[in-house]
This record gives sequence, structure tokens and C-alpha cells, in this order.
Amino acid sequence: MKLNALLLMCVLLFAPLTGCLEQTESNDDCSVLPAGHADDGVLRILTYDITALSETVTDEFTNQTGIPVEMIKVDDAGGILDQMMLTKSAQQADLMIGLDNTYLPTAIENCLLQPHAATPVNIASSASAFYAGDQAIPFDQGDVCLNYDEDALSEANMTVPTHLHNLTEEEWKGKIAFPSPVTSSPGRAFLVATMEYFSYETEGDAMAWWTDMLANDAIITTGWTEAYETHYTGGYGEYTEGYIGDAWMTVSYCHSPGVEAFYAENYTHSTSLMLDHSSFHQVEYTGIINGAAQVNGANLFIDYLLSTDVNTNMPENNLMYSVLEGTDLPETNGYRHHADVPSVVTTMTYEEIDANMDAWLDAWKAATQQA
Amino acid sequence: MTPTSKWAIRGISILAYLSLASLPFIYALARLQQVTGHTPWEALWRFSDVYGATEALHYTLLEATASAALTVVIGLPIAWCLGRYQWRRPAFFRALFSVPFVMPAIVAAMGFLLLVDDGGLLHTLGIDLRKETGLIGDLAARTGWDHPGHFIALIFAHAWFNLSLMIRFVEPTVARLDPAWEEQIGLLGQGKTRLGRFRHLWWPILGPAVLCAASLSFLFSFTSFALVKWLAPFNNTLESLMASYGGSAGIENYRVDTSEIVMSASMVQFLILLAALYLTSTLQQRHSTRFSLISEGGARSARGPPNWRARLIVYSGAGFTLAPMLAAFFASFRVREGSFTSGMAPQWSVEGWRAAWSGDLSTMGVGEALGNSLLYAFCTLCIALPTGWMLASSIHALELQHRPRMAKALDVLTLLPLAVSAVMVGLGVLLGVLKTMPALFQWSFLPVLPHVILTVPFVVRVMLPAMRAVEPEWKEQALVLNLNPLQTWYHGYFSFIRGPAVVASSLTVAFSLGEFGASWLIVRAGSWDTLSVVVDQLMSRPKFDPLIQPAAMAAATVLMAITFLLFFMAERFRPEGDGGGF
Repeated sequence: MKLNALLLMCVLLFAPLTGCLEQTESNDDCSVLPAGHADDGVLRILTYDITALSETVTDEFTNQTGIPVEMIKVDDAGGILDQMMLTKSAQQADLMIGLDNTYLPTAIENCLLQPHAATPVNIASSASAFYAGDQAIPFDQGDVCLNYDEDALSEANMTVPTHLHNLTEEEWKGKIAFPSPVTSSPGRAFLVATMEYFSYETEGDAMAWWTDMLANDAIITTGWTEAYETHYTGGYGEYTEGYIGDAWMTVSYCHSPGVEAFYAENYTHSTSLMLDHSSFHQVEYTGIINGAAQVNGANLFIDYLLSTDVNTNMPENNLMYSVLEGTDLPETNGYRHHADVPSVVTTMTYEEIDANMDAWLDAWKAATQQA
Repeated sequence: MTPTSKWAIRGISILAYLSLASLPFIYALARLQQVTGHTPWEALWRFSDVYGATEALHYTLLEATASAALTVVIGLPIAWCLGRYQWRRPAFFRALFSVPFVMPAIVAAMGFLLLVDDGGLLHTLGIDLRKETGLIGDLAARTGWDHPGHFIALIFAHAWFNLSLMIRFVEPTVARLDPAWEEQIGLLGQGKTRLGRFRHLWWPILGPAVLCAASLSFLFSFTSFALVKWLAPFNNTLESLMASYGGSAGIENYRVDTSEIVMSASMVQFLILLAALYLTSTLQQRHSTRFSLISEGGARSARGPPNWRARLIVYSGAGFTLAPMLAAFFASFRVREGSFTSGMAPQWSVEGWRAAWSGDLSTMGVGEALGNSLLYAFCTLCIALPTGWMLASSIHALELQHRPRMAKALDVLTLLPLAVSAVMVGLGVLLGVLKTMPALFQWSFLPVLPHVILTVPFVVRVMLPAMRAVEPEWKEQALVLNLNPLQTWYHGYFSFIRGPAVVASSLTVAFSLGEFGASWLIVRAGSWDTLSVVVDQLMSRPKFDPLIQPAAMAAATVLMAITFLLFFMAERFRPEGDGGGF
């Protein structure tokens, strides 16, 4: 009995001890904060698993500037924001690379970035249209849209959907995989696309559509990898461990079929669903973290990342479009040929995303739980 | 050393460890309370309102209970046959069956995926656990059970992982039981039938060992993360739910819903696991008592070499143990190649190994990551072994002083880190370091901290039964030999627990090498990737590039080989008839 009481006390102890963390200091005027870590001459980059930043690329930067680089890698764009938020009182990195336009407004609103002094030239208007301030600068871009398996549709004698409502019909039951917008950045981008898509519709709304999709057994996954690799039949997933192959459609990039072809000698049976306003133009940004110690190194790295030598290789090195004017995907192995370009993408502005994202996510959770 | 100074050292060790083990949890909980505005108790009451939590709890309880039961079903016959007959190399089999327990879960997950995939062993036999067609599809259709194939794959993977617990607890008990006891009970009325012998002889002796292994299997299956993430993609356990949302938990004025999820789930998990740990501790103590009562008359020599049934059971168990590991090894040589005319097909190649070694596809090459892993494992060992030793000796000293309740309380407290989610440990360490000394983030050895927290309980589990088995007379005999205090300690005490100490060391190193949960979060604050993190990094990347997957398998194979080697080396030091567990 005494032992039970001891164990109970141990648990109860946690409640009174909760005063051991003070409130985080506020920085409401977004002033530039002092360095959160000691400047030891190393440029620390907070990023997700960006393949463009290989050891060769960072070594070349070090050769040019004499500044060593250390990477702090997280899972995805959401992880970058989480990390910056958690370590707000003492930032551990100098430069962030990888926040996209669905996360950038939150970062800026929370004063997590500081103005950069990089001087890139020749940024395409498609990349700079969403945000042109001095807190962040685009380094790659691409359109998030639905991809489908052409062979599967052809074998089942199904027609290509002409409206998102078609996907709530019986023939699509259990055949579409969506990465959750709560835990995945492509999932979040597609949620924004559906908000815009249904704003042009006279019937129905986005959340009712999501409820119908869940009622039609749509598969919701934690991240893009599970949706594309484990469930989607049109991609490389069938050659990986754990492939289930129960979805003929999923969320990816409009140029993903091109990437498939690039790595498979011009072979792919995946293509994109080209419906007006159903894709989201994703732009990925780099910016100097508020509380950085190596501000000079960070500015130099931004210039380096946006240099022609590095940025024009984005399609091969990071599987995304370059942000430089006049560049395109390479023709090698049908990369350009199989990549689709939506004619009408979302026009959602910085202000709209900033004002509504939290509410959209809450509404999405409610809508999907309702199903 | 005087008894007072001994207790002072023990007291400091206990205090240091308990602070180390509980502070991250307290920090994490305090921040979550600050963010959500709910106390831990309120979070418990709100559990059913939290997004996905109730479903996750149901699934966790179901899979953990089924996994524990399956571990008994598979492990008991193997342990029985291994202990009952005279095998040519029993140590080899014991080591083999123990390897899965220290295997990084992500490697195990990959191995099992390879077995259940198209072209895998089970698929070839007509059992499709992944796409759930054929027999498994019929089962799903007839019963309305969602994804039975994934559930079956998961509980088999957990049983594979926990097999060693059954072997470690049950096999020595069977092996030490004098066959004369069985003959004697056979002469009595109650022992005439097989059921009678089971009820009156086998169950009283084996029962605590079986239940202890089962409760530990329940515990490890309950906190499983990587196996659930990969093998049961449609379901969440409490741990995988927390891992999915843990990243944005603990941030003020941002995504408060994720903090609510993590706080409620972690409190429920903590209380359930605390109960399981209390049960485990009680059962292990009961098992130790029963084990010490049975004679050392060898059942093996009396029964002679194994018959064909025993061979079939043990060899099948060995095959079950080896299959996922071999599958991962062979997959490291399979690279898919594409062609415009014939599509894609896998080819044999060593390119995956080259890519893994060069680090072209990950933050660093396998060699560098292995160096980091070994360095962290060594540092973890240097702290975890003496700490665990001190804690075990304190518990044993309390037992000798006839203070069983205090000993029991300390025993359960040392197990606390096993009741706390790895996600909470990671978050707590991050917050704690931020508050106390942010400069520590640039200290390369920070990841050692969560490794120590998570490995000390295992050191205590190994050392405590060994210390209980040391007779005080042995030290007295050493004293009369006129040796100096150090020699007396060595010959009268340490030489009897040297074997378990080596086993505990190897377990610590192996666990540190495969540690994935906390490093998965703490790595956010540094760039010191270990081999298990590199494997996960590769597996989580889009695999358009056909070399990514074989490179991940190559890295996993290196991790597997190192762990395998460590364990076989340790097994040579394990005393014959050691029945302390692990």
C-alpha cells in the first residue's frame, strides 16, 4: 500500500514542478536579436533533407569563402519552423533553407527571420510574386498537384476526372492517398489548393469535399513518402519495401512524372491531373534566422545558393525548378517531356494564407473526423 | 570504505540518475502544461477528446497484448527444447535468439517488409500480409477486420524482437530442473497426467518466468515506434501518434492541438507502463526466488541429445530469427534499373554499398556515421555501466538489510525511463538544455544524455539478479586469504559478476548503437548523425534515385553486423545457467 502511495506521489510531483519553465521572452517589434549561440566561425544551416546541399556543394562554398558549413537536418519544412519556434530564445542555426510559402507567413509573423543583405539577380516573377520582402528569398519552386496512374485507369476503363467532385464517386472508393496537411507540407499545399478550387465553385465547399473524400475511403498518410511510395501505384513505390499499391492517385508535384522518367530511362506511367485552380505553386525560401551568429556567412551562402552554377542544377539535384529567369527542366530521359505545367494555379496571397492557415487546418481536422 | 561513505556514493548516484531520468519528462510536461493550460490530470481527463488518441490507445493495447501472447506461443517451445536437451552448442543458439532484441527497430522493420512484400518468403507461400489479397483478403472480408495482414506482420515482428526474453527467462529454468522431480511427481496421483504435471510442477516453477517475459514483451510492444510506422501504416500506437505530432509540440501560441495530443497520450502511456513495470518487477523478484530454489541438477545431460521434434522447433526458430536479417542483407545488392521499353526491374549490383560508403545520398558516409555511433556508444557505456551498477548494488543492499519495500520502490524507479515516451525524453532534453545552458547544443556529446537515460534500466536488469546470486560467504573466504582490499573485492565479489558486467556492457553498447527514438528528436539540435539515424534518413527520402534504397539496406547491414558481433562476443562471457533475464 505504501509503495502504491509512493508511486502515486511520484506522478503527483510533476504538477507542482511545472513552474520550472519561465515564459519565453517576447519580441513583438521583430527587432534583430543578439546571437543565440557563440560565433565559432562555422555557418550552421537549418534545413530538411535537401539533396541539393550535398557535401560537394557545401565544400565548394567553403573553398570559395573559407567559411565551414554544418547542417542541422530535420524531417521537412514543418520541422524547420518547429525547430525555429522551439529554440526561439537561443537560436542554434544561422540560416534556414526550405520553408515553403505555406509556412513562411508564420515564421515572419513570429519574428523568426531577420533581413538579409544578399544581392541575387534574375529571380523569375513566378518565384517572387508571393513574397518580395527582405526576410526571405526563394531558391526553388514547383507546383503541387494530383498525380494519377495512367495504366490503372486505362485497365479499369475509367475516364480522367474533370472535376474534384468526380473523386467522391464510387469508382474512386479507397483509391486516393493524401498526405495529411497537419503533418506534411505537400499535404498542406494541396489543402490550400482545394480552398482556392472550391472558392471558384458555385456548389459545395472544400471542407464538405474533404468529408466526402474521407467517406469515400480516401487514405490519409502522415507524410508524402507514405502516400507516394507505399500507396501510389503510378510511381517507383512498387520497387520499394512495404509497397501496398492501393491508390491510383495521390498528391505530389506536377513534374513528378518527369522525375520518374529521368531516373527510369524515359519510362513512366504516372501523369498529373490538370484541373484549373487544383494545384498550388509552392515556392521554397531561404532566410537568415533572427538570432544568427554568422550573418555574413549566411548572406554569402544565399548568394551562392542563387548563383547560376548552383541554382540551375536544382531540377537534377533537388528535383525542383530553379527560380532563375529563363531556366527550365532538362530534356534528359524525358524529364521535361513528362513534367506537366498547370495553366491556372492558385492565386492565394501571403495575407490570405497568414490569416487563415490555422483555421483551415482546424476545419480540415473537424471535416475529416466527421467522416 | 565505511558503510556510511558507501551509502553516500550510492545516494549521490541514485539522486543523479533519478534527476537525469525524470527532469526531461518534467521539463517536457511543464512546457506542455504551459502551452495547453491543462494540468497533467486534466490532460488525462481530456484524453478521449484528443484527435486520434482513443483509436491509438485501443490499437496499442490490442497489439501489445497480442504480441506478448504470440511471444509466449513462439518462444516457450523453443526455450523448452533448448533447456531440456543436450545441444552441441547451446550458447550459439542463445546468442542467436538474443540478437533481435538489440537490433535497431528500423532494421527489423525493413527486414520484415522484405519478407512480406511481393516476391518475399511469405508472399511466395501464398500469404500476402502487405496487400492483403488471397487468404488474408478473405479473412478481412469475412470478419470486417481492417488490415489483419498488417496487424499479423506487426505482432510477428514484435514476437521476433522479444523472443530473447522468453529464452533468457525460461530456458535456464528448464535446464536447471532436476529430472528426478519430474519422476517423483509422476509417481504421485496428481502427476499421472500431463495436465497434472503442468499444474503441479511446471507452472509453479515456470509460471513467474513466463509471465515476467510476457509482461516485458507487452511493455516493449506498447512503446514500439519504428515497427508500427513501417509495418502498420494505417494505424497508430500512442508512441507513433506522439512521434507524428511531437515536432510541433511544446511551442507557445502555435499548434496547441499537437501539444494536447502529446500531453494526453504521454500521461496515459506513463500510467499504463508504470503499472506494467510494477508487475514486471514483482514477477522478476518471484522468478529469482523460484529460480534459486530449484536444484542445479542438469536436465540436459539426463535427457541426452534432442529428438527430431526438438530439432525442428529450435531450427525453425533459428530460421525465423535469421530470415529478416538475411532479407535486408540481400536487398542491399538489388538496384532497380529502368528502360523505356520494358519498364523497371531490379538488378544485382554493389552500387548501393558504394553510395552508402561515399555518403552521396545522406548527410555522411556509413564509415563516419559508424564512427559517431561507436563513439556515442562508448561514452554511453562509460556513464551507464557505473550508474547502473551503483543502482543495482543499492537495491541489493536494501534487500540484504531487509527493507524490501524501499528496494522495490527503487527498483521500479530505475525502470521509469522505460515508461516515458522517447519523444518526451527528446523534447525534455531540448527544453532543459535551452533553459540551463544553450551552449551545450554545440557540444557534440549531447546525444549521449538520452542514450544513458534509456540504457541504465537494462544495466540494472542484468546486474541485479547477478548480485543477488553472489553468496556473502565467498567474500568471507577471500578475506581469510590475506589479500589486500582490492584483491579481496576482485576475487570475492567481482570475479562472480564479471560475466554479467560484460553482458550489460554489450547490451548498453548495442542499445546505444540502435537507439532511434530520442536521437530522432535530439538530432534537430546538432548534426552528429549516427548510423541508425542515417538509415532512417535514407529510408525517409523520396526514392526516385534507385540507389537510395539499397544504400539504406547497406547501412542497415553494417549496423546489423556490428550489433551481431557485439552480442556474440558478450555471450562468451555469460555464465552457464544464468537465469537473470536479458
